[in-house]
Amino acid sequence: MASRFLPKLRSSRPRGFFREFNYTLFTIATWIPAVIFFNGHVGEVTWINGSSMYPFLNSSYDESLEKDVCWTNKWSPITGLRRGMIVSFRSPSNPETVSIKRIIAVEGDLVFTRAPYPLPTVRIPVNHVWVEGDNKDTNKTLDSNTYGPIPVSLIQGKVTHVLWPWKSFGPIRWQEFRSRARVIKGRPENAPGWD
Amino acid sequence: MTVFQRLSRPFNYLRDKYVGHPFLLVGATLKTLFVSHVFLEYGFTMGACEGASMLPTLEVYGDSVLISKAYRRGRGIKVGDVVQFDSVVEPGSQVIKTVLGLEGDYVLRDSPGTSGQMIQVPRGHCWVVGDNLDFSRDSRMFGPMPMALIKGKVIAKVLPWSERKWLINELKHVQ
Repeated sequence: MASRFLPKLRSSRPRGFFREFNYTLFTIATWIPAVIFFNGHVGEVTWINGSSMYPFLNSSYDESLEKDVCWTNKWSPITGLRRGMIVSFRSPSNPETVSIKRIIAVEGDLVFTRAPYPLPTVRIPVNHVWVEGDNKDTNKTLDSNTYGPIPVSLIQGKVTHVLWPWKSFGPIRWQEFRSRARVIKGRPENAPGWD
Repeated sequence: MTVFQRLSRPFNYLRDKYVGHPFLLVGATLKTLFVSHVFLEYGFTMGACEGASMLPTLEVYGDSVLISKAYRRGRGIKVGDVVQFDSVVEPGSQVIKTVLGLEGDYVLRDSPGTSGQMIQVPRGHCWVVGDNLDFSRDSRMFGPMPMALIKGKVIAKVLPWSERKWLINELKHVQ
């Protein structure tokens, strides 16, 4: 089929190697915007840096330099957020870095906070979530205990699958996550709002 | 060569290339859409805005503004710039407000003349307030806003065309 169209693409003049090469490069380059759209709105392969999600992700961070590779679903990222889901978002304390953390509490919940947070408990406001890293060492994760509840409009995607290492390959079963009894579940209508 | 022939040359080229070649046509259409998406997301975009919160700067209804996305995530934003960002209160909608404080700055927490309490804007955040203090939902309600929410800076008012103007940050350092 393709051979039917290919001769049409090229002019009848003979071309040198470089002209042909440039033509191929240009054809590839015209698809770059499609890749940008796909990575921004459909899904993206993500390399996990650091140990904030240890032991769930980067479980061998202290043994090797290898990073876990995950798949981030970026289609309608702010719908259907549940406790236990792993999400990616631009860090509130540093806009140029992307953070990957677990949702601990959603709007209306009461959270018992950890060390750097100034208050012992906080009720999550409307359209906000409380995110934390899995690491028990609180020095290894920069999360809501430092910057507070984050607005859901910051969230870019949900981390849905582990692609590498091979032994943990597969979908992330976030439903099986049990938080460490520091959240009292509430109702969305009880969340503090601004209206 | 007549003028007509000269003018119709690009159309002849398109006809020769795409008529009878549906796959090429679909590919080219998709690529055009993706290129425009990238331009609107990383270059410039125009949008109509409404609401009373920015009143002397922007009218309640009928204004369209030009937004430069080079300032996304608060890059190069200064105090006094008008920025567009994803709403903290209503996810999915965009808001336009003025930046009144960047990280480390001390700002008035409430409207002038009420409590007088000052707070420091935390790292990576900014303080956004509408120009019309009485009809604006802004940082005075939801607190410091992460700079990562900023999508771009409003650089000009385009429509209505008779009121077109560049929005220039007129704040100056105190001598």
